[in-house]
Amino acid sequence: MLSPKDSLLGKQLSQYVCVRVVRLDDVNVGLFERDWNNAIYFFMLNADEQIYMRYGGRESASPDTYNNMESLEVALKQGLVLHDQYLKGEWKAPEPPKPLYPREMPLLVERTFARHACVECHLIGDFQNLQREQDGVLDKLTHLYRSPDIKTIGIWLDVPKGLVVKEAKGAVAAAGMKPGDRIASWDGTPVWTFGDVQYRFDKVDRRAKELHIGVERDGHATELSVALPPRWWWTDLTFRQSSVDPRTDFSDRPLTDEEKAKLGLKADGFASQVKYVAEFAKIRGAHELKVGDIIVAVDGVERDEFANTADLFIKLRKKAGDSAMLDVIRDGKRVQMKLNTHVLSFRK
Amino acid sequence: MWTQLGVLAALAGSMACMAQDNDITWLDYREGLRVAKATHKPIFLEFRCEA
Repeated sequence: MLSPKDSLLGKQLSQYVCVRVVRLDDVNVGLFERDWNNAIYFFMLNADEQIYMRYGGRESASPDTYNNMESLEVALKQGLVLHDQYLKGEWKAPEPPKPLYPREMPLLVERTFARHACVECHLIGDFQNLQREQDGVLDKLTHLYRSPDIKTIGIWLDVPKGLVVKEAKGAVAAAGMKPGDRIASWDGTPVWTFGDVQYRFDKVDRRAKELHIGVERDGHATELSVALPPRWWWTDLTFRQSSVDPRTDFSDRPLTDEEKAKLGLKADGFASQVKYVAEFAKIRGAHELKVGDIIVAVDGVERDEFANTADLFIKLRKKAGDSAMLDVIRDGKRVQMKLNTHVLSFRK
Repeated sequence: MWTQLGVLAALAGSMACMAQDNDITWLDYREGLRVAKATHKPIFLEFRCEA
């Protein structure tokens, strides 16, 4: 029994009306907008459908990193505080997002409702991106690379304590964040949970150079201006099994400046070394790359505003199913080879 | 964590309007809104993929 009435969690949950949604057919997904690749996710809200906070979210490496009973208890406690403010008329409701219902999504109607299949959470995100791609409005930096990783800017949380910082490194350390700080706002919006932080981080313009994080330290509020590092939005897409990104059947690492200089390559180019080739790459006819190959150019292009590897360049600039010509250095010789990307088929 | 929460949630079993989960009663969305309005309680809403 994980939630008996006499446990803290049980006592907290008894003060809430508990609601479960397992299919999204008639849900206002505009109101509950989130990263739809989370298999489980929570909201605390009131009867007027005003959202207090979110609980959930994951990093690419694991679905479990940011979620445990202790942090859920912290969130539930804060939810009751905000609800009390709401009942007293002291809580300022956020502007409600534009409503959106699954039946308004043509691809979902065509491929899921028509088959009487379950409208699963991930399908909302999958079909939103497919529709954006069809309509020519897919911004891969924003729509494909969802939920940026807070570790990229140097935040390691003391997860059982909610938004208390365990370690501050890199960009946030340079901005003055310290262990023990409690993150209180993200670009001016109050945050209470990792779910809130991840949702707010996802809303930051991918071309932004700076981010404002409010922290509480020793009872005082401080705002930190964080200089965002290059590719702060990048995450490993592997766990997103129904993504629209072109699958390349290899992974790579950026060459160092020294390695580029030694090979006579452009310092600001995205030359990269292949570090993994998928088992079925050759069978699938994807390419004939080998581990250790250095990819210098894709379709003659050697540099990009955002990409620091050939794989990232292809993911950002090509559509799933596109082909490309690679310039590759293998055993000291420069050769060309074709790459055929493929579409990851949807499960449903 | 999700395993634990999954157990917590899975004990409810079905999609019935009112499902008993240990000591927790889980409602569907519309019923949850109605009860929250009547009791002045906040809502703890779970989205959960059962596929």
